[in-house]
Amino acid sequence: MTLTLDNLHRLIDALLAKKVRVVGPKRTGAITVYAPLAKGTELDLDQLPRRSAKEVFFPPCETILSFEKRDGKTTVSDPDLDLLPETVLIGVRPCDAAAPGILDAVFSWDYDDPFYLERRKRTTIIGIACTASDDACFCTAVGLAPDARQGSDLFLVPLQGGGFAVESLDAKGSALKERHAALFSAGSNAQPLPLAVPAVDPLDLAKVKAWLDENFEHPLWQEIADRCAGCGACAFLCPACHCFDIVDEGGEGSGCRRKHWDACGFGKFTMHASAHNPRDVQAQRYRNRIMHKFKYYADKFGQTLCTGCGRCIRWCPVGIDIKAVLDEINGK
Amino acid sequence: MTSNHQNTETPLIDPACYAAATAAIRTEAVRLLVAGEVAAVVGYRAGRRTGSVMPDVATTVEAAGQLLFSPACQNNLALFLSKAKREVLPHGRVAIVVKGCDLRALAGLIGESQLRRDEVHVIGVACPGVFGANADLSKPLSAEGLARKCRACKVHLPEGVDLVAGTLPPLPDLPDLEAEEIARLEAMTPQERWAFWTEQFSRCIRCLACRQICPFCFCTQCLCDRNRPQAVDTSPRPAGNTAWHMVRAMHLAGRCSGCAECERVCPMDIPLNLLNRKMAQELYELYGFEASMQPQEQTPLTSYRDNDDQSFIK
Repeated sequence: MTLTLDNLHRLIDALLAKKVRVVGPKRTGAITVYAPLAKGTELDLDQLPRRSAKEVFFPPCETILSFEKRDGKTTVSDPDLDLLPETVLIGVRPCDAAAPGILDAVFSWDYDDPFYLERRKRTTIIGIACTASDDACFCTAVGLAPDARQGSDLFLVPLQGGGFAVESLDAKGSALKERHAALFSAGSNAQPLPLAVPAVDPLDLAKVKAWLDENFEHPLWQEIADRCAGCGACAFLCPACHCFDIVDEGGEGSGCRRKHWDACGFGKFTMHASAHNPRDVQAQRYRNRIMHKFKYYADKFGQTLCTGCGRCIRWCPVGIDIKAVLDEINGK
Repeated sequence: MTSNHQNTETPLIDPACYAAATAAIRTEAVRLLVAGEVAAVVGYRAGRRTGSVMPDVATTVEAAGQLLFSPACQNNLALFLSKAKREVLPHGRVAIVVKGCDLRALAGLIGESQLRRDEVHVIGVACPGVFGANADLSKPLSAEGLARKCRACKVHLPEGVDLVAGTLPPLPDLPDLEAEEIARLEAMTPQERWAFWTEQFSRCIRCLACRQICPFCFCTQCLCDRNRPQAVDTSPRPAGNTAWHMVRAMHLAGRCSGCAECERVCPMDIPLNLLNRKMAQELYELYGFEASMQPQEQTPLTSYRDNDDQSFIK
């Protein structure tokens, strides 16, 4: 099946008309981010959004309960998750589309996180093959590819001369396609546009993990941490980082308990109430970032917590390059 | 894919200028380490990606020989001499590579008793300009790619340093886009200005890159990390975001040296240096004071004079 760009825009408009929330790459000022679209033509497929698509399932901040004290009586209320909208997440690059599938494991492990899982259930992902990359991209080195279908319900492959070849990959994708069948046409002879294949050295992730298994203590961690400024840019832009903090915010008499993004690079991330900090120096924190992605998550869930999107490389304030770090480990 | 600038192929500045600075930095760095005058040289070295660089603490002759200066040398390395990163430096005297804007931060840190001039050997770079955020580092520096701060730079040639690396070429005369933007904001009504900043801060995700990269954000306990009592909401929502950026702008007023690192590193493209530069303008208009032009312990906001304007007290 194929879909023209105009019909892709019409598909968005048709979904919006049915009160479905459509989130896709949208230009806001100088940058593109995943944001709710108000009309089909707002979709901007030219740039990899600055922030990953994880925020559709795991927003930067959300209220998990609210409380109010009135006349000596305290009431606590839960947010109504039934109000979460049915969502179509559209124009998602493979490095972003693959991430929710990786995160499902941790959000449904010892506790089923209703906020995350309810959004997952109500969201259909329309992935798109990647035809432009830069030298920060390294999806191919972590087992993905510019046309990886992993995580997509429906997948678009841009065609020469415009439009997309469409593949439905599961029931959610088929259902979406069938509901809007009139917009799709039979397959054409047009060839797909050439894929963006990042020109990076391959990684042997098993070898990287084997090194990490043995090198909790190694001068490499200090060497990298020497330049790490300890901000959360890498973690916040990452499609797979999922740590959060829980805070109570509000005024006198009422407030909310909120869950918001947190980052293991922050100095106070592991600070105990006793003031003891088990990760007291940046080397321990940076080590945790790599260990969590390429060892702990692999040990626990058999997956790697990195999709090679390259955002942490592009936006590290001090030029720390996770691919260069992995290359170094891979070469040891 | 991620670059917002279409850089032309004609370089704005002759690349030979950066190469000459590189050669001078290497010679000096090697000399200092061999002579035992310093324990380390804080500079820049090449990264994996074409054109990319990263800060480096060179402690060996080999590492010193790989230091460089290029338009990608955006970082203000004075960060390494503030409390935030000071622990990574080896004990002893260190040398540091600074652009004019970075040198102002050093002067500010000396003024705030964060370091002593005699503790550091300063290698100043005759800097024609560096890339701004979003620029494609693999392309030659173009007018579009040049950092906005460089268009208004008054310190291309650092003064009072131990060595000046390189020489200044003729510099292009480019409009001061940042001043134009400040003028545009000043011409707005307060409501319009509020709407502008509300929209900007709405993108903030509280990654705190602005704080962590700032040489002057050296508080060991940031007010914005406190939770008992909590002064500023930590969640990325309008109230906390606005409070955070306001608190930071106020705390940097009269201190910020204008390196604009906070703006460069902001992954959400919030034009934070507009706030800092506006505060600097206020300080200049009120007190004729420019932060960090030389080390000063007494600054307008940390001192008192009998003839200070008190008309604001009603």
